[in-house]
Amino acid sequence: MAQSTTLDEPIGGLMEGVTDSLNSDLVQSRATGEPEWLRNRRLDAWASYERTPMPTTRLEEWRYTDLSRKLSLDALTPMEWSERAFDRESAPARMAEAMEADHESSGHVVEIDGTVAHVDLDADLAAKGVVLTSLRSAVEDHPELLEEYLATRALPADRGKFQALNAALWTDGIFLHVPRGVRLEHPVRVTRWLSEEGKALFSRTLIVAAEASQVSYVDEILSDDMEVQSLVSSAVEVFAGNGAQVQYVSLQRLGHGPFHLSQQRTIAGKDATLDTLNVNMGATTARLDLNAQLLGSGANSDMLGLCFGEGDQHFDHNTSQDHVAPHAYSDLLYKGALDGRARSVFRGIIKVHKGAQQTDAYQTNRNLLLSEEARADSLPNLEIEADDVRCSHGATVGQLDQDHLFYLMSRGLSRTEAERLVVIGFLGEVLSKLPLGGVVEKISRAVEAKLNV
Amino acid sequence: MPQNDTIQDLGLDEYQYHFITEDEPVFRSGRGLNEKVVREISAQKDEPEWMLEFRLKALEIYNAKPMPTWGGDLSNLENVLDEIYFYVRPQEKMERSWDDVPPNIKETFERLGIPEAEQKVLAGVGAQYESEMVYHSLKKEWDEKGVIFDSIEDGLKNHPELFREHFGTVIPSADNKFSAMNSAVWSGGSFVYIPKGVELDTPLQAYFRVNQEQMGQFERTLIIADEGSKAHYIEGCTAPVYSTESFHSGVIEIVVKPGAHFRYTTIQNWSNNMYNLVTQRALVHENATMEWLDGNLGSKLTMKYPSCYLMGEGAHGSILSIAYSGDGQHQDTGGKVIHAAPNTTSQIVSKSISKGTGRSTYRGLCQVHEGAINSKSNVECDALLINDTSRTDTYPYIEIEEKKSNIGHEATVSKVGDEQLFYLMSRGMDEAEAMALIVRGFIEPIAKLLPLEYAVELNRLIELEMEGSVG
Repeated sequence: MAQSTTLDEPIGGLMEGVTDSLNSDLVQSRATGEPEWLRNRRLDAWASYERTPMPTTRLEEWRYTDLSRKLSLDALTPMEWSERAFDRESAPARMAEAMEADHESSGHVVEIDGTVAHVDLDADLAAKGVVLTSLRSAVEDHPELLEEYLATRALPADRGKFQALNAALWTDGIFLHVPRGVRLEHPVRVTRWLSEEGKALFSRTLIVAAEASQVSYVDEILSDDMEVQSLVSSAVEVFAGNGAQVQYVSLQRLGHGPFHLSQQRTIAGKDATLDTLNVNMGATTARLDLNAQLLGSGANSDMLGLCFGEGDQHFDHNTSQDHVAPHAYSDLLYKGALDGRARSVFRGIIKVHKGAQQTDAYQTNRNLLLSEEARADSLPNLEIEADDVRCSHGATVGQLDQDHLFYLMSRGLSRTEAERLVVIGFLGEVLSKLPLGGVVEKISRAVEAKLNV
Repeated sequence: MPQNDTIQDLGLDEYQYHFITEDEPVFRSGRGLNEKVVREISAQKDEPEWMLEFRLKALEIYNAKPMPTWGGDLSNLENVLDEIYFYVRPQEKMERSWDDVPPNIKETFERLGIPEAEQKVLAGVGAQYESEMVYHSLKKEWDEKGVIFDSIEDGLKNHPELFREHFGTVIPSADNKFSAMNSAVWSGGSFVYIPKGVELDTPLQAYFRVNQEQMGQFERTLIIADEGSKAHYIEGCTAPVYSTESFHSGVIEIVVKPGAHFRYTTIQNWSNNMYNLVTQRALVHENATMEWLDGNLGSKLTMKYPSCYLMGEGAHGSILSIAYSGDGQHQDTGGKVIHAAPNTTSQIVSKSISKGTGRSTYRGLCQVHEGAINSKSNVECDALLINDTSRTDTYPYIEIEEKKSNIGHEATVSKVGDEQLFYLMSRGMDEAEAMALIVRGFIEPIAKLLPLEYAVELNRLIELEMEGSVG
């Protein structure tokens, strides 16, 4: 047969995404003065970045998000680490407001432009051995834990282009370690602020919850609206040891302008519960890659997500329920409401590996289109290689339920009010499944604010 | 834990159609695909110049397009394609009377039960053997009403204008690599025209048989259901089991004009050494209805996603799909519905059974274009896994650009429940019977939609493959 010549351009090549500012010199400078293991990890990650082609829409996982149009790496300069102090009095209004709305907590972290500026932790918890610190300090103080967990088992550089980029270039981040059996009554609350335009910011979060411990972690990121794109890359690794109970909540409330790239991997041990909530309200483009691995038998993950898009916002959620162990349970519910020309993509997969018998896995994606130009794409996938499982998935795309609207209007509400109420009710279902102090109110208010625009 | 192995007794894996007919074709192309083969086919068929050009252009497109990297495992396909015969002509001309069909071919089809079925209940029958239709007949009453049911070659010869108006318009050569291949080497298939307002109360049926080792069958079917007409077309496919792999790649184009109602049923029971890569698509106009009923039981790998392009207001598309994947089989099937007009509705129901090392994949697309207001679509997939080595995947694509639409997708995966088995066995059934009953119950919602009243032959196939002998 005649040799096929391809019409399509080849899928990428070497050195894609290496720019004048994001290059091996930068990696070298970041690695300067670091312990050898970390230095090598950065260099390996950079090598992996260089040889991995830039994702294109020809890849299933990037089918609906065209990076060549959404992200201008060439225009970005790296955000550098610098000593910073946090002063609540002079904090930007949006940031101060967000922090005020936080209820009681076990500890706080404030990160500004990729540098941790403030950490406090309940003294009793510190005495019990809980560690809450910047990733930079953790390299000094807890090298054995970091060497074991940082960019190794959860988000190693070879998992993908951007995993590699973050592992090579991170400036700082947060490290939380909860020792065996220690339970935190209140959430750890993290506030991250972005102030600069035209930057590429790389931050990491590492949460290690040992056996039978318990912790909730709320990770909020904010900024004002920006004219020029910044890239915020967040790599989040969460480990729940046997029987541990962990909640990770991400509230993405960046202003207009930034591209938020959130890569999360959760690994749940035997009988552990590891729940996540991802709220996407802000940024111009927000991409979430979440892989929840059920590694121990009897592990349990609720995966919740909601987004509200307007204007030209583009949200792309790529989730994976990765059932390795038998007798594990995962339940995903992602909901999106889209106004203006906003677009949401949900691509989820339930992967049941051979031998993961008695798996229960569910996946639901529901979308509400509020305007003529909004668009929703949904790809709820299943790959099942064990026979004794219960799996189901469902996806819907629709408009506001006319019966609901009619009912509310018959009670005297105006159409606008009725619509607001129905949207809040639609998204509220997600929040009601993870009732964490402060989070529900904060998100409800943010949704209402968007609806009032 | 029940021994799922007992399902062996279901008869699902016994291939009933393995027999080889000894014969010598009147013409056979060389192995592999090249321009010479394409020119030979065109010359053998004594085609007009435009068709030869169409074929050659399609060959160029085929050569330029890369092999798909999604779907099933096609890694060995290029080797297979190098070895197969793209065109095998079994006899000099197509027959209208069953008695005139050469005895060995006749015997083949008699073993498949064709003349029998025809006498009883069918409006018309076509039979393809290797690359050509060897027999085509239509009941007189339908002939008199202007129904055309012919081989695709005779369609081109006898109805050149109607043919050219529609050929290649529903599925352009460049649609995908295999539609390009078919467009280059097509041979056989049916040409069907149902005139305005004519309603066929019994189905048209076509049989496809591959007998030779290492051959490719590339039937091409073009169906035009004119305004307000109604008809049902059934195709069945079988082949003997050879140690080498064979290839089948059909292109089915259907135009359903305003108010018409067309149903296309496939019962594909190719032997397990067959690659079956088919493109089927219908353009559905105003207030018309298209129904695909797709049964995939055989083949090594099937990649087939019947689609409905709902082009006119009020159009309706329905795709019902049953797949059975036994050891070594991969059924990568599903359906596509494209809502391009207001008030269009669609439904996809897919049921699959995977057994042994079999793998069933549902792959589907539901697309609602902006402006297709009040579109409604519902997709349901159920997968049944019999063994711990079986696999199932579901890959639905839902792309919605219109807020005034209502789209849903649901899928479940389950195994035959211990409780269900226990209950039935407590009622005195043995395990195999109980298993068979549960599997039957699983496919019943689709099986009952099959046209029981006329497709005697079809039902026989379904019974043999799906229900079989127990114990």
